[in-house]
Amino acid sequence: MTDLLHDARVSRAQFFRLMGGLALATAATACSTRPETTATTGGGGTTTDLKFIGVSDQKAPMDKLAAAYAQAKPGVRVTPSYAPTDQVQTSLRTQLGAGNAPDLHVVYPGNGSAMSMSQIAKAGLLADLSAQPWTQTIPAGFKPAFQLDGKTYIYSAGSSVIGAVYNKKVFQQAGVDAPPTTWSEFLSVCDKLKKAGVVPIALGAQTPWVTQLITYALVPSTVYAKDPAFDDKQLAGQASFTGSGWQQAFEMYLELQKRGFFNDKPNGTTFEQQTSMVATGKAAMAVQVSAVLPDFRKAASSPDDLSMFPVPGADDAASVWIPAGVVVGLGVSAKGRNAEAAKAFVDFLGKQENINAWAKEIAAIPLTQDASSTIDPAVQSFLPFTKDRAVPFMDQRWPNAEVQPVHFAVVQELLAGDSTIAEALKKMDEAYRK
Amino acid sequence: MTPLTAWRARPARTARPRRSATTPPWLFAAPALAVYALVVLYPAISGVVYAFTDWSGIGQDMSFVGLANFRTLLGDEQAMGSIGNTLLLTLAVVAVQNGVGLLLALGVNARLKSRALLRVIFFAPVVVSPVMVAFLWKYIYNPDPEAGLNGLLGLHVDWLGDPSVALWSIAGMVVWQYAGYSMVIFLAGLEGVPKELHEAAMIDGAGTFQRFRYVTWPLLAPAVTINLMLSTIGGLKLFDQVFAATNGGPGYATETLSTVLYKQAFVFGKFGYSTAVALVLALFVAAVSLVQVYYLRGREVSA
Repeated sequence: MTDLLHDARVSRAQFFRLMGGLALATAATACSTRPETTATTGGGGTTTDLKFIGVSDQKAPMDKLAAAYAQAKPGVRVTPSYAPTDQVQTSLRTQLGAGNAPDLHVVYPGNGSAMSMSQIAKAGLLADLSAQPWTQTIPAGFKPAFQLDGKTYIYSAGSSVIGAVYNKKVFQQAGVDAPPTTWSEFLSVCDKLKKAGVVPIALGAQTPWVTQLITYALVPSTVYAKDPAFDDKQLAGQASFTGSGWQQAFEMYLELQKRGFFNDKPNGTTFEQQTSMVATGKAAMAVQVSAVLPDFRKAASSPDDLSMFPVPGADDAASVWIPAGVVVGLGVSAKGRNAEAAKAFVDFLGKQENINAWAKEIAAIPLTQDASSTIDPAVQSFLPFTKDRAVPFMDQRWPNAEVQPVHFAVVQELLAGDSTIAEALKKMDEAYRK
Repeated sequence: MTPLTAWRARPARTARPRRSATTPPWLFAAPALAVYALVVLYPAISGVVYAFTDWSGIGQDMSFVGLANFRTLLGDEQAMGSIGNTLLLTLAVVAVQNGVGLLLALGVNARLKSRALLRVIFFAPVVVSPVMVAFLWKYIYNPDPEAGLNGLLGLHVDWLGDPSVALWSIAGMVVWQYAGYSMVIFLAGLEGVPKELHEAAMIDGAGTFQRFRYVTWPLLAPAVTINLMLSTIGGLKLFDQVFAATNGGPGYATETLSTVLYKQAFVFGKFGYSTAVALVLALFVAAVSLVQVYYLRGREVSA
């Protein structure tokens, strides 16, 4: 800090010149970005301005596709703006509540969060997209994420997976040749890495959503591989977290901590610190969702060092299942003035080449694939699972928005040694029944 | 219309002509009051209605549920836990912030050459956005033994990640931010202590501590009242710093009433219940402040 301040020292004259320049620059950009809501185009028609509010994860693909749409349809312009997830929860819900929602906005697949498809569609705020051709090809397993009562309310470009993002170079240096395929192999790889003097698994549990990822990576093997209908049974009240494979998943989570495979003090470590630990080789891997792979690559000096593999949650490689969730998508505001134009834009997004383009930007597996679909090499190893050994992210079928935050909190309590697994499962069951 | 006619009638009352001159011409404040009523009072009071509904925050579905939200609050383990956290945090902040503020004020009030500069330095954190302060302190509270505060003090503490420490870490950064605010109010109080009293006390042979105890301290009472009240209200409403630093975690260790009501409204989609929590918080803050002011006003003296 002090060095930085020292180098940045400027004289008073320099400071005023700098400020003057800044003011000028601000004035100039303010003029150039003035919104032209009713600007006339060459043909004499008016421009329709579609407002989109999304989360930061959507910036890369949306910027690209909004620009492509401007080329294809000069009369319509999509103006996107982005915010961090928790701010979207506040500002967007307020706008939805007040009845002045943007034409297009971020929607989370399935149920289980306050901005999820089911919750917003139930309130009658999302336009029905079922008439669009791309909705006919939604894979059966993904339908609960896209549809409520048989109608499609959300567009999403595909799915992301949860697995271990790892630094290939660090693995090599520790003498690990190939990623592990069973739980015991996974433990011995961690052991090897630890002996080689690196942190085997970086965990940024201070950032709430990061806490859930290890459980999510394990539960497909410990719960759904044994009982694929677990969600239905749980909804019907015939199953609960207590007494299910969730117990085993938590035990495995804590075993990793007990064996010292995590960085010191994960509850005080953030997602950003976790990312940089793996990117710089201080840690060997991090259990993460593939959608943040670009973040890891950005932080690394040589992005090609980073890849992913499925976390094996079982001792038999054949019964390892993986979590594959539909990525955050968008919906059309049912009551917006431009609902028809907004639907037309979603229809455009549903074209195969645009699904491909969106998926590529976020290292996702495209919803439907053709010859031109590219799949990020880092997630190639997950493809054999996606057919019949993959389950959606657990929260997408939870009945309310409270279970997920309770999961965050109990994981932090478990890591802090402040709670027992039995207590944690009990709290999650209570939240599930609310 | 009554106020207006009363005002018009006033010049006619020739019996007590001075009265109209001394009565505050509050009608002049009417435009401001009207705006205040429109943008603050009306929304605040109309919002209370939601506390008796089950509104989700979006959509049209809403039904009146009577006192159900308040009953839920009484049985809500998490909300009740957060009351404990809020009180502990408030207590710590009020005590330390004002203690440090008073020491700073006494310090910079002394005849130091650099006192103008020091006042600015100690006040500077107050003007920084609380969220920025939280981000800054996340770096200071880095759990790495070689970084931040740990590196400086040679400690190995998980400031924000250890449930038994996190609440006090947050109190620490709040105190860091607002001690300068208390200092400024104490400084204003110190300005009001007449020099003659100090001189008289000195002639009577009073030492530094005695002069503080028997001259400065009693005359500082109004500043103490204001400071205690402001920091208590601030502490009870604490949100930004907690939300940005720990989001109520680890577990529920730093959850305050404000973070609970935020989560109920925007994360869980229970707007009605959240409004009920907010109403209870507002009444609680009002009650505590009233008691505090009533008690502290009683011990104020004037020079």
